[in-house]
Amino acid sequence: MPDPAPLTPFTIDGKPITAKPGQTIIQAAMDAGVYIPYLCYYPKMKPYGACRMCLVETEVKIVRKVKVKKGDLEVEEEQVTVQKATVASCTAPVQKDVVVRTNTEPIIDLRKGVLDLLMAEHPHGCLTCHRIELCGPQDICQRHVSVTDRCTICPKNERCELKDTMRSLELDLRTPLNYHRRNLPVHTDDPFYDRDYNLCIVCARCVRVCEEVRFDTALTLTNRSGVSLVGTTHGSSLLESGCEFCGACIDVCPVGALVERDYKWEKAARRVKTVCTNCPVGCQMIAEVNRYDKVIRFVADLQGEANNGQACFKGKFAYAYPNSKKRLKYPYVRENGVLKRVTWEDALRRVADKLKVFAPNQVAVISSPRGTNEDHFAAQQFARTVLKTQNVDSGLNTVPEIFERLRGRLGNAAGTHPAAHLERSKCIMVVSGNPTEEQNVLAVYMKKAARAGADIIVIDPRETELTRYTSTWLRVKPGTETLALWGIARVIVDEALEDKEFTSNRTSGIDGLKRTLLAEFDPAVVANECGIGEDLLRKAARIYAKSAPAGLVFGVGTMPREGRAALTDAVVNLAFLTGNAVKDGGGIFPLYPGANTQGAYDMACTPDPAQRGTGVADLAAAIADSRIRAAIIMADGLNAEAEGLNGLQKELAHLDYLVVSAVFDTEITATADVVLPAAPYPEQQGTVTNLERRVQMVRRVALPKNEERTGWETVAALARTMGVTGFGYKTAADVFAEIRRVVPQYAGLSHERLQNGGIQWPCADENSPGTAVLLATTQEGQKWAFVDHAPSLTRTAMADSGYPLTLVTGRVLIQPERDPKVAKRGDMNYIGREEVISIHVRDAAAAGIHDGDMIEVASESGPIVSGRARLDSTLQGIVSVTALFGGVVSAMQDSIQADASPYVPELPLRRVKLAKIPARANELAGAR
Amino acid sequence: MTTAHHGTSHTGHGGGHGANRDRIKVALTGQKQPTKTVLSSLLAIQDEFHYIPNEAIEETAQFCNSTANEVWSVASFYTNFRFTPPGEYTLDVCWGPSCHLMGAQKILKAVQDKIGLDKEGETPDKKITLRYNTCLGSCGLAPCIAVNHHVTGRVTAESAAQLASKLLGQ
Repeated sequence: MPDPAPLTPFTIDGKPITAKPGQTIIQAAMDAGVYIPYLCYYPKMKPYGACRMCLVETEVKIVRKVKVKKGDLEVEEEQVTVQKATVASCTAPVQKDVVVRTNTEPIIDLRKGVLDLLMAEHPHGCLTCHRIELCGPQDICQRHVSVTDRCTICPKNERCELKDTMRSLELDLRTPLNYHRRNLPVHTDDPFYDRDYNLCIVCARCVRVCEEVRFDTALTLTNRSGVSLVGTTHGSSLLESGCEFCGACIDVCPVGALVERDYKWEKAARRVKTVCTNCPVGCQMIAEVNRYDKVIRFVADLQGEANNGQACFKGKFAYAYPNSKKRLKYPYVRENGVLKRVTWEDALRRVADKLKVFAPNQVAVISSPRGTNEDHFAAQQFARTVLKTQNVDSGLNTVPEIFERLRGRLGNAAGTHPAAHLERSKCIMVVSGNPTEEQNVLAVYMKKAARAGADIIVIDPRETELTRYTSTWLRVKPGTETLALWGIARVIVDEALEDKEFTSNRTSGIDGLKRTLLAEFDPAVVANECGIGEDLLRKAARIYAKSAPAGLVFGVGTMPREGRAALTDAVVNLAFLTGNAVKDGGGIFPLYPGANTQGAYDMACTPDPAQRGTGVADLAAAIADSRIRAAIIMADGLNAEAEGLNGLQKELAHLDYLVVSAVFDTEITATADVVLPAAPYPEQQGTVTNLERRVQMVRRVALPKNEERTGWETVAALARTMGVTGFGYKTAADVFAEIRRVVPQYAGLSHERLQNGGIQWPCADENSPGTAVLLATTQEGQKWAFVDHAPSLTRTAMADSGYPLTLVTGRVLIQPERDPKVAKRGDMNYIGREEVISIHVRDAAAAGIHDGDMIEVASESGPIVSGRARLDSTLQGIVSVTALFGGVVSAMQDSIQADASPYVPELPLRRVKLAKIPARANELAGAR
Repeated sequence: MTTAHHGTSHTGHGGGHGANRDRIKVALTGQKQPTKTVLSSLLAIQDEFHYIPNEAIEETAQFCNSTANEVWSVASFYTNFRFTPPGEYTLDVCWGPSCHLMGAQKILKAVQDKIGLDKEGETPDKKITLRYNTCLGSCGLAPCIAVNHHVTGRVTAESAAQLASKLLGQ
């Protein structure tokens, strides 16, 4: 580590403090605990200097040496001048020894003058009232502030920064200006957001966070001067303005203009730091809890190491399912087809008795994809030591091939670098993944790197948000992603662009790799097979190899199962070839579903391939073959119809015995013999591990109100009922104590330590700060091996069976080249446009379709999409359609599921056929 | 700004006109100056259409490697840009200081009475767009009005009304 740059000393209100390099006055003051009011400034955003609330007086002594004549002599004298200024402390960098005064009479006068003007268009009857601290919602107003203008009915009351600013000015503002109400309609027609621009103070925080932090520019400042206001193009809906519904603008809004519609007027009784359990990024969030112990709001935590103050549509708007009235409260046992309420003892006794009937390898234990490490650990301990079965897995461990190969190649089944380090990458290659929707905050870092000039390379047949950030989109034929990666490796070797020092010192097998590349991967042939130009392949290779450091982000969203291991190998090969596996700002980032799939691997709550255990991805097939006859499924956050579970939902009915621990009565519990109530995240204390190996605390917000139990409690109670020792855990910390004893990477961790923030494993002992970069330190002489034999690349030879084409669905935030059409249905906005389905001209001819025909694309399980045919696809056999993200958000809002996030659709490839919609039906569709 | 006569082949405002997009693209790519900005692009489009169609915002965003909302923020900033098609003729009545002293208010009143408006805007038959202008740059000819940027000086209430009725085709 280089020496940190020196701190700058200065004084603020007579108090000597220091500023870190590059800090402005307000940042240094905040760090030192000195309050300066501000409205347009926001931590982690660029200073703006618009609101002028943070004005301070500065005084700098400037010492100049001047030559003065004294008699005949010319002597050098020091001349001291004092430079005084009134500056906005958010934009003013700290000068050495500057004297800052924040609360002088003139400064307070200035601030009041500014606030006068600011509030001329914000309801301020209450803000300027002496009774502000005394008045309640039902009080009769003595000053005749009209009901709609009162602070007490504002959704942001007591979270309002304008009110806090008023308080800092000691509430004695007697503004001479009358309040001018803008009389604008409140926008309540977009999903999740309520926007009331009558309350807006035009600080532009929302516009700036959208533009400079999220890179979406879904909002902008419209018009000018006195009528300037936040808005969108032509006042369009957020569904068509490129909004990703991440809620960042709500989080930064200082007033009641932007709020979440759910629990809009609820007041927080306390705030608890916790972790979002919707995806593996593991965003640290602040849960606002009301006095009835309900989580009423999720606000991204600015201190969060994994997310740096950001969240996504799932984290921001899909947190509230534990508040649902449909929650399961008691254990039930099915008798004569009807679920009957029983006691826990009774339910567990029956389960314990029944499980004895089955042979060990006939039983499977699936822990919840939202489960904590403690849950996963207890589940696998129970499966392996009590049931003696190897069929144990985490509910969304649908891509075990990635983890197994990473374990084989890197020694650990995990990604290598912290997510935030993607910001430092000069190039990011994204293979077969859609992080903007599935691991959203990861994409924020990638977009930031792109904004700073990094090249994004996308290898994916689907059009996703990231393909809009790249000039190098390798739209390869589905299934040829691995081939493309080998082709890139070949070009790197051909043009001698590999990191020679790294490959010779830290890797083995480079010669074998080169032989294979030269023998089997001719760039022209590879490009041809992938369906792209050779130039593009070479360009991608050059960019990736020449831009150091370069990150590699990969998923397997478009890969059939048998190709996933080979894809992972090809990714790791590339990272080794260029040395990016260990570089700061490089790294390998696997994309996978499930909030704590990483934790499940760490806890060994996954089937050991050597032991031939059945994992969740194979469970459906195993039930169909009657190899598995009984299962215990922890179903919190599980959608059994998810693509990666290969039809599990249908097979569940064929089980002889099914025990489900669930939060809701869903289709999974429909055929269960025993249903146990599960405690979701706000009622859990435990740890989860994210995709950068960061172990973080999920904190308990409230105790379960009824008989719900967490995963480990359920399993431990069942084990005790079965008369087994070793499950005497009293608290989650007890389970964790066992975890750290058994799992070497967690040896230095404890619940106590994690209270102060997440730690990345491996963490060998109490004093270890954890490991940010996985491969940075290796033992002397340790070398990473290349996979040097060409894999047998399966070219998507999916069964034809009347469905000859592959549908590639893409999804983007905005398509400026097409007119978005938003339609009103009821009071709400929906995407109402006709889709354009892109088909190869030969496929169209085979199906008798002409350009512009209305067609329907159907798979085996029914119609998927209909729209207008356009014969412009370059790949024969591929049908592609790109939808707008707004559709997903609307669907999530309208979801009949209390827990909507597991039901957000992914972008799988499907075998389909085309059918022309007859003109008659066409007209009807138009009329509708 | 163009001094050509306004075309009459407006495709109407609002989105959804695929043909418009081609015309917009031609206007965008046909810019002659070396530096093409959001502002210059919007001006080029307004020269072509005499207003900014909805889809022009998106096309400009693509052309300038910007975003629709950023283009909108520029477009809505300038009051000279309009987002609905103007009438066939644009009639500017100057009410700058010189013209005001020379009786612009009377002229304005006469024109408005003739075309049946009481503020700026289009006549119902979309023949005339009336605009108040703060200076047409011809103070020596005050009071003056302009039809499609062609200035007529030393008008009287009568001659102005006569001109307006001629534009209405009466």
